[in-house]
Amino acid sequence: MTRFSDWFAWLVLLFLAAPLAIVVPMSFSNAPSFQFPPPAWGVQYYRAFFADPRWLQPTVNSFIIGAATAVVTMALGIPAAFAIVRHRFAGRGWVNLLLLLPLTAPHIVLALGYYTYFGRLRLTQTYLGVVLAHTCLCVPIVYLTLSAALKGFDRNVERAAMNLGANPWRVFRHVTFPMLRPAFLVAALFAFIQSFDETVVALFISGRDASTLPRKIFDSLRTQADPVVAVVSTLLLGIVLAGTIASRLAARRRRVETPA
Amino acid sequence: MSAYLDIVDVVKSYGAARPAVDGVSLAIGKGEFVTFLGPSGSGKTTTLMMIAGFEAPTSGDIRLDGRSLVSIEPHRRNVGMVFQNYALFPHMTAAQNVAFPLRMRGVQRAEQQRRVAEALASVDLQALAHRHPREMSGGQQQRVALARALVFAPDVLLLDEPLGALDKNLREQMQVEIKRLHRRLGITTIFVTHDQSEAMTMSDRVAVFNQGRIEQFAAPLEVYRRPATPFVGAFVGDSNFFDVVLSDPVQGLASSDVLGDIVVPRSERPPGSRVRLMIRPEAFGLAGDGVHNGCAAVVEGTVNYGDSVLVLTRVAGKEVRMRLSLRDAAAVVEGDRLNAAWRPEDGCLMD
Repeated sequence: MTRFSDWFAWLVLLFLAAPLAIVVPMSFSNAPSFQFPPPAWGVQYYRAFFADPRWLQPTVNSFIIGAATAVVTMALGIPAAFAIVRHRFAGRGWVNLLLLLPLTAPHIVLALGYYTYFGRLRLTQTYLGVVLAHTCLCVPIVYLTLSAALKGFDRNVERAAMNLGANPWRVFRHVTFPMLRPAFLVAALFAFIQSFDETVVALFISGRDASTLPRKIFDSLRTQADPVVAVVSTLLLGIVLAGTIASRLAARRRRVETPA
Repeated sequence: MSAYLDIVDVVKSYGAARPAVDGVSLAIGKGEFVTFLGPSGSGKTTTLMMIAGFEAPTSGDIRLDGRSLVSIEPHRRNVGMVFQNYALFPHMTAAQNVAFPLRMRGVQRAEQQRRVAEALASVDLQALAHRHPREMSGGQQQRVALARALVFAPDVLLLDEPLGALDKNLREQMQVEIKRLHRRLGITTIFVTHDQSEAMTMSDRVAVFNQGRIEQFAAPLEVYRRPATPFVGAFVGDSNFFDVVLSDPVQGLASSDVLGDIVVPRSERPPGSRVRLMIRPEAFGLAGDGVHNGCAAVVEGTVNYGDSVLVLTRVAGKEVRMRLSLRDAAAVVEGDRLNAAWRPEDGCLMD
């Protein structure tokens, strides 16, 4: 039983990691186009990526839009989650449904809507337009993550803080927020990743000025199969890996420090 | 004793048919240790929540040292509370938890440290000051919660079933510790529990709650010996109830289908009153001299508790529980007849 599940786990891992085994070597290739295995090795496409504003600008755009989306989504999602989980009011069920609605519509349908509506508002091809559209897509994710954390939150801890002399603001600042910080971080990260990864809506409304990285990758693949795409993938993988390792190390350091 | 904490005709209704708290009045003296005893849903915790300020009474008043608490926000009441699950702040160490109320009151850092150290020492936890709650046992977390509720010198200490989650040995140890702290600090304390033995051993007075009302508010021994209502008699300790008719209340004469003609405590009720007579199992003994009431019982079973024996008997078809000393019980055999007796003054009459 254990043996089988071990095998199965490795198989799944292999399946998930297999594309990386192709993409990473290809980024170090010298071939003029996608070719596997690479005929010769080199870093010329890394040089090309870092020298080309047509790649760098969308990369920067994606980070800006992702971060802004996370901020706006959290600003909407936090109050929404608190209101729905902790209060009873007329229309609560409908608001709950409304918040989840963007999950149910296909992105292509939403993209079409944004394209026509934002066009009229002159919001297409702007950061603001993309951020607003991405925020709509991210609200359900943030709302679900936060409300799950809030439902499991022991309100007696807040009562204890009140009882010990903390006014409502200080209860939030010293108790509620620090205890929910992991959930807040995860929710914000989900929003960022969702925005960073989003292609369909970005294709429709981001235009040239606010073009995001997924859009640029898509364009690049369609027109010329540029191996720089493999470089971008490898760099992103590197960032994720570095982030994961850093958080692991931080968690371990915290564990070592506490019993002292 | 003049009332320090005065609960006046408090009602808490959530809109359901019967209010959760239905007209509770209690006058609690300064420094008193009062236990709210009752089954779950009897309104004892709701009453406590209203004293802490987490619930507002629908009507009535709660006064502390003469001024009304009702319109004061919870964080301004200066009432310490220990919650059922301790409600420690998981992201803070024991010392930070205990320092929290001092920080909220803007106490100087040096003074904070001094008082935190003192509070932790009073519950014997100096060594664990820098541990997080998850690194402590239930009993240790309990003591942190206690230190945290006492460090800011509150006017009243509220304890909401604080020992419920602990095992038996630890529970007894904490009972002693809480009593010791109470004696040393002299703080007015309200202790909520559904465990009658906790109520008996710890309190100056016990308020027995049932269905949102107080059935009796008296010293533990009084509650045990002279329960005001059948509910109190049944909830606090083991008991036998008999329906009796008072033939001559002034002389204390009565008759009962089960017990025959008996002597009961004197009362002012009219002759012919139908009342209930409660007799504790330990009031029974083996029949000896003739001044006692007596009855013939058939022994159906025995349970040996080591210090005494519970004898399950049947008297004229009714089940009667008797608790006999080991010496008396030695002669008792299942299926045998047994002549039992009790003193008239050990009976207790109720309407």
